[in-house]
Amino acid sequence: MAKTPVIAIVDDDEGVRTSLASLVRSLGYEAHAYASGAEFLRQSPGNDPTCMIADIQMPVITGDELQAQLVASGRRFPIIFMTAFPSELVRQRVMAAGAHCFLGKPSSGDEIIRCLEEALAGQAQQ
Amino acid sequence: MTIVDQATGPSVSRIGLRFWSAALAVAVFLVDVLTPLEGAVAVLYVVAILLAARTNRRHDIMVAAAGCAALTIVAYLLSHGLQSIASPALRALVSLAAIAITTVLALQNHTATNRLAAQARLLNLSHDMIFVRNRANVITFWNKAAEQTYGWSADEALGKIADELLQTTYPDRRDVIEAGLLDTGRWEGRVQQRTKGGAAITVDTRWALQHNHLRKPVAVLETHTDVTERVMAHGALVESERRYRRMFDASRIGVAEEDWSDLRKALTALNLDGAGLRDHLSRHPDFFWQVRPLAKITNVNPALQKMVGASSSSVFIANIDKLLDRSDRKFVGALVAFAEGEPFYEGETELIRLDGRKIPVLFTISFPAGPDGDRNVLAFVVDITERRQAQDALLAAQADLAHAARVATLGEISASIAHEVNQPLAAIVTSGEAGLRWLRRDVPDLREVATTINHVVAQGRRAGEVVARIRTFLKKAPPQQDMLQIGDIIEEATSLVARELAKDDVVLTVEIEAGLPPIRGDRIQLQQVLVNLLINAGQAMSGQSGSRVVTLRAGIAQAENLAITVQDSGPGIRPDDLPRLFDPFFTTKNGGMGMGLAISRTTVEAHGGQLSAESIPGSGATFRLTLPFSQQHALP
Repeated sequence: MAKTPVIAIVDDDEGVRTSLASLVRSLGYEAHAYASGAEFLRQSPGNDPTCMIADIQMPVITGDELQAQLVASGRRFPIIFMTAFPSELVRQRVMAAGAHCFLGKPSSGDEIIRCLEEALAGQAQQ
Repeated sequence: MTIVDQATGPSVSRIGLRFWSAALAVAVFLVDVLTPLEGAVAVLYVVAILLAARTNRRHDIMVAAAGCAALTIVAYLLSHGLQSIASPALRALVSLAAIAITTVLALQNHTATNRLAAQARLLNLSHDMIFVRNRANVITFWNKAAEQTYGWSADEALGKIADELLQTTYPDRRDVIEAGLLDTGRWEGRVQQRTKGGAAITVDTRWALQHNHLRKPVAVLETHTDVTERVMAHGALVESERRYRRMFDASRIGVAEEDWSDLRKALTALNLDGAGLRDHLSRHPDFFWQVRPLAKITNVNPALQKMVGASSSSVFIANIDKLLDRSDRKFVGALVAFAEGEPFYEGETELIRLDGRKIPVLFTISFPAGPDGDRNVLAFVVDITERRQAQDALLAAQADLAHAARVATLGEISASIAHEVNQPLAAIVTSGEAGLRWLRRDVPDLREVATTINHVVAQGRRAGEVVARIRTFLKKAPPQQDMLQIGDIIEEATSLVARELAKDDVVLTVEIEAGLPPIRGDRIQLQQVLVNLLINAGQAMSGQSGSRVVTLRAGIAQAENLAITVQDSGPGIRPDDLPRLFDPFFTTKNGGMGMGLAISRTTVEAHGGQLSAESIPGSGATFRLTLPFSQQHALP
């Protein structure tokens, strides 16, 4: 493993953000936390993470809007969505757009880790 | 009209009488001297003296007597010189004796006449109407007061039949009264009469029967006192008393008549002013109950008896100490008001019925001014049980409705609330998992473990706060009257809706002026009003693509009011909807109950404030609520 995978965490809720970052780091990955989609988009495309964990319900730019913008600008990496309001409609939309996982809140750590590791394994194969 | 005038007679004047008296005396003298008549001509001098006496002047009688005596002696000396002639001298002596006797009698008559005249003048001085009628009821004397009161002059009244002239109405049959008068010589009574002007007057009359020397009744002296005004005043007084009694007996307001004069004496003996008395009462709490028996209840009306379940006024009075609530300090206020000379004291208190049940009452104690005021203290008492019950029921209904509306409001934003609880729960679960992993590493990273545990605790607290906030908001409690800082209420309300507004991309700005005074009211109800306005503002903009801004401002309006405005940047309110906005069940939202604003306005008005809305279509709506600042800053 040449380089430690970087996981981007985008959630407007500070508590959720911090706990996810801790979990990611406990797995040995590097965690970059962002309070909003806009904050993430401000950084240059060259530093794209290996994977992203994002909330759906966020003010100004929602999780699925963020995904759409990234797809539109050709920035492709696996995205794991986590939402307190898992609706089938949104699930179908983000999955169709290439999301890796769609999890409800709260989800067990095992589930998050399984999704994350699957996503990273997929990345490694490419 | 006087008796003196009658004696003189209207036809012959005083000067005339003196002239004829003198002329007669001179004529007798001439006859006596010039004629050879050997008779007692000089005896005729007595006629001259009687004429002079008719002038009713003592001086005239004396002059006439002296003149006649002198003329008799001169005539004797001219006719007979100093020779003593038995027969003529005897005649002259007889003449002189006749003159002397006549003079004495005339002088006596004159004195008696004067005495009668003085008595008649006294009768005229009387304020009472006095007249004399003879046995045929014909008026023979009529005094000045009778002239003035009845209107007929003496000339008009004399010779008239008294009963016909005065149209007297008697309390009894006239012949019975007359019989009584003849029997006892007196009669007293009250009769109605008419004056010359036709006015009816009431007089108290006293009759006295006058007898002649043979004990035969000859005349009646009637003395009348005009009591018309006194009778009318008395009648008015009786009517007033009757009216008061009717009110006292029939009123639904409880009334107690009390005599506080002994209490006044006790207070005066203390020699304290109002503040001093208040101080004395606070240091000696039982003082009121010591002096209370001095405020004697003299009568209690049926309404008040019924109010406490007493069967009579005396039962009420006997149990008065049981009826009053000993812990109530309002009676102290009444005592101070009484001591300070206030005209009344009013308040609300509770009476304890004889069956032990308490009833809320409104009372006024009036302390009449004037010398007898302290003896006529009146306490008015109104039972407000029903009013109180209705008021309580209304308040309870309002509280229930407001509660239902709060539940509905939270229902509307339940998704946001679920999210708000879910977020910390998600963070707790994830942190826990992370902590476990840090712990299970080959070399456990205890620093990271501690961080995650701290995180779990903080997020657990956060979830607890959200739940507590919602529980408080949903609490069903009677309205409170607390001193509140508007900043706290705004903070709580915005916390409840923050997530909901954020979800819809609404930016909330809050501007609160520094140093706002406290307000008085119910925290939850006011919070509910703000939550309502904020949610409405957010929802008003849900359909628009542009920026969504809600601005809440709090500041001072007209010195004694707090003003809060909630302004949105939505499409505004349609002019047609504006007047109906606060009507119950009026809504522009799909599935809206239409009670939010109606309840909000009721709540604000119950707090003494106002809630209004204004809107310029196309540029948002502004809701403005004002609340009075609490006047009792000193209270905790």
